[in-house]
Amino acid sequence: MENYKITLMATAALALSSVLIASPANVQAKELRVGYTEDALTLDPANHRKRTSQTIIRNMYDGLVTRDPNMNVVTQAAESWKQIDATTYEVTLQKGITFHDGSAMTSEDVKYTFDRLTKEGAIGGQTSPRKSLVGPVKEVQVVDDRTVRFILSDPWPQFMAFMTLHEIVSKKFAEKVGADGMSTGAMGAGPFKFAKWRKGDSVIMERYDGYYGGSQNLKPVGKACVDTVIFKTIPENASRVAALLAGDVHIINDLPAHSLKQVENNPDTRVMTVNGTRSTFIALNNQKKPFNDVRVRQAMAHALDRQLIVDKILNGKATLINGILGPDAFGKNKNLPAYKFDIAKSKALLTEAGYPNGLDVTLDVTGKDKDTAQAIASLLTKAGIRTKVAIGESSTLTTRFRTKGKTIDGQMYLTSWGNGSLDPVGIFVPTHRTNDRGNSSGYANPAVDKLLDAANTETDRAKRAAMYSEAEAIVNKDLPKLYLWVAQDLYGVSNNLSGWQPSSDGRINLHDACVK
Amino acid sequence: MNFGKLIERLAQLIPVLLGVTAIVFFMMALTPGDPVEIMIGDQPISEEQEASLRHDMGLDLPPVQRFFKFLGNAVTGNFGLSFFHRRPVIDVIAERLPATIELSLVSLLLALITSIPLGVLAAVKKNTIFDRISTVGSLFGVSLPGFWFGILLLMLFAVHLHILPVSGRIGYAYEVDAVTHLLLIDSLIAGRLDTFFNALSHLFLPALTLGLPMAAILMRVTRTSMLEVLSQDYIIFAEAKGINRTSILIRHALKNALIPTVTVAALETGSLLGGNMIVETVFGWPGLGRLVVESIFVRNYPLVQAAVLFYAITYVFLNFFADILYTVLNPRVKL
Repeated sequence: MENYKITLMATAALALSSVLIASPANVQAKELRVGYTEDALTLDPANHRKRTSQTIIRNMYDGLVTRDPNMNVVTQAAESWKQIDATTYEVTLQKGITFHDGSAMTSEDVKYTFDRLTKEGAIGGQTSPRKSLVGPVKEVQVVDDRTVRFILSDPWPQFMAFMTLHEIVSKKFAEKVGADGMSTGAMGAGPFKFAKWRKGDSVIMERYDGYYGGSQNLKPVGKACVDTVIFKTIPENASRVAALLAGDVHIINDLPAHSLKQVENNPDTRVMTVNGTRSTFIALNNQKKPFNDVRVRQAMAHALDRQLIVDKILNGKATLINGILGPDAFGKNKNLPAYKFDIAKSKALLTEAGYPNGLDVTLDVTGKDKDTAQAIASLLTKAGIRTKVAIGESSTLTTRFRTKGKTIDGQMYLTSWGNGSLDPVGIFVPTHRTNDRGNSSGYANPAVDKLLDAANTETDRAKRAAMYSEAEAIVNKDLPKLYLWVAQDLYGVSNNLSGWQPSSDGRINLHDACVK
Repeated sequence: MNFGKLIERLAQLIPVLLGVTAIVFFMMALTPGDPVEIMIGDQPISEEQEASLRHDMGLDLPPVQRFFKFLGNAVTGNFGLSFFHRRPVIDVIAERLPATIELSLVSLLLALITSIPLGVLAAVKKNTIFDRISTVGSLFGVSLPGFWFGILLLMLFAVHLHILPVSGRIGYAYEVDAVTHLLLIDSLIAGRLDTFFNALSHLFLPALTLGLPMAAILMRVTRTSMLEVLSQDYIIFAEAKGINRTSILIRHALKNALIPTVTVAALETGSLLGGNMIVETVFGWPGLGRLVVESIFVRNYPLVQAAVLFYAITYVFLNFFADILYTVLNPRVKL
């Protein structure tokens, strides 16, 4: 019998000792930790298509241009840029920029960076998946040590906006380490230099003391404030919030709306918000009954009290939209009429369309948005549009609804489309142009296509904006989708953090961030 | 046990692996979802580049052709590039595997050292209050969702009591030379007790969350088989001979009662490797389970293929290992 007691006691002792010996998770001074939803897929700026990876990479690599807090394009490593003609841009680098090994950044590095992005098989036999983010850039010419010219094959008004998406790599380093070395190491000219990557766990960076200061348009210019930055992967929402509350991290992204109060009520933490760029909508299948009738689509719009859902489910942290573009997007039509919440009008429209007894429909949604979908379904059902929610997996729903012209398999899909560039070309074209990638409603209107195509190459900004405005007025009437809202991006931050503000493009740039 | 048996077992692996490969390949191929679309998401892309990406990923070929190409490469140890990491899948898996193995082994150890003594005790003290408590306790252990239990532990020990870290595998200040890639062992090899305890403090909650349901199952199995063995004639005979009770329990009863426990433990260990995705997500544990499930969601075919093959091999070997253990526990059992 004694033996069992000993075994039991030993077990208990082991469990207890493991608890007692653990050190408290204190955050050291000048070390800034970010609780982030995803780990980087790669550290190679040219070999991914992932915004979350870019957020991490961008703290080690600078681009020619970047965005200010108001999402305007401003210079970064570039000192200036000018458009020479419709297809030629000239960019001059700031003086004294060095990579983290101390070597100077020159035009050759810029040329090498863009060759790597555009040339077939340039990344150890692989072609950059970011190639089409360089648009019609045909060639990069070195003018002198600090000046390069971008030669385009066609006019491209979004050139500078898309230049914010690329980081300049060191030619010397990339040639030395090859594709493998670029994917697991980093040699940029950004405010932080690469220290360590614990894969699946964290990317650790240290301040680069030879930093040239960054964008001259974004104050303060100079070295970063903190010594060390750690992007720590915490995929689970509740655990990320717990890490913030425990003082283990200073910033968490993607704070769930239902945890808002928890973070606000904690004396050591607060919530920070920024206007998002992701438009949420319900794609209605315009190819088939009942939603091939515009009256039914309009009836839907009148049946839905969108503000109520924003207030109750999103804690008020969203802005309603009446077209596809978010409030900050270029060319946004500010005078679009809203479909007022009016059940009587909705019912009248349904009757007129031949549905006096309402109708039965199914709303497809991914697990992530099921709360919102259920709220929408219950409101629509109250108005006589009996809605069933079907939860599916994102990849499957994408295949069913984003069919590029083939028959859509489904009726309604609650989804969203991001627009980090804030240029309509990133959202309006794919979601509304006939048979385009994100046209999940099977919408086809030649007038809209014509406007979108013309705007794509129009270099006069005012004319271009007017075209998008006009196109938005058309879709507001046609209503291929129920336009819902642009939600704010929510971050939880520690009260020890200062100098940092969230950015609409979702990046977390830590150059200016300080911790107590 | 002889060498021939081992060769025979290894030969049996071939049809198993072929079958698993084919099933997984065609299941993935038939599931809706397009890796190129998923990779691009809502970012702009030209049709030309979409085609070029599809070609890079080898998705421009029909599935049957893709399957044989995969088989041909796999035989030479080439499992292809991960669609999203853009590096060889073997490298990506190898980086994440040690964390999963370490977590699984510690969970298994935790489960074994609690379940076997408790199971024996529950059998010996059958129908007493102790037996009832452990039976109800094991019911809880099996029923508690790991996701919920993990968060609960996290809130208690990390957020409120501040005595354990919230997530990760080791503190940032700690670094240890990789020998086995298992941090507990590597830190002991390096003679770094501080690193060992730091790693242990990170490991404790995930291992507890993962080990609890396993401990509960093993305890029930041990209890049942112990009860069965204790009613056998040879136990009564041993008692009649006046052998010390502890000796009877351990040498005569437990040794025979452990056979079902070993079987279940081997199967459970296999599922630990694949089934700890939830625990890995909750505790931000940089393991393979999370990587594989994420890869399924984004249709990262090469990575899922390679990982499933690895799981299949592990399962087969664990069962083989359990078979060998039977012969040790009961010499009458022959392979």
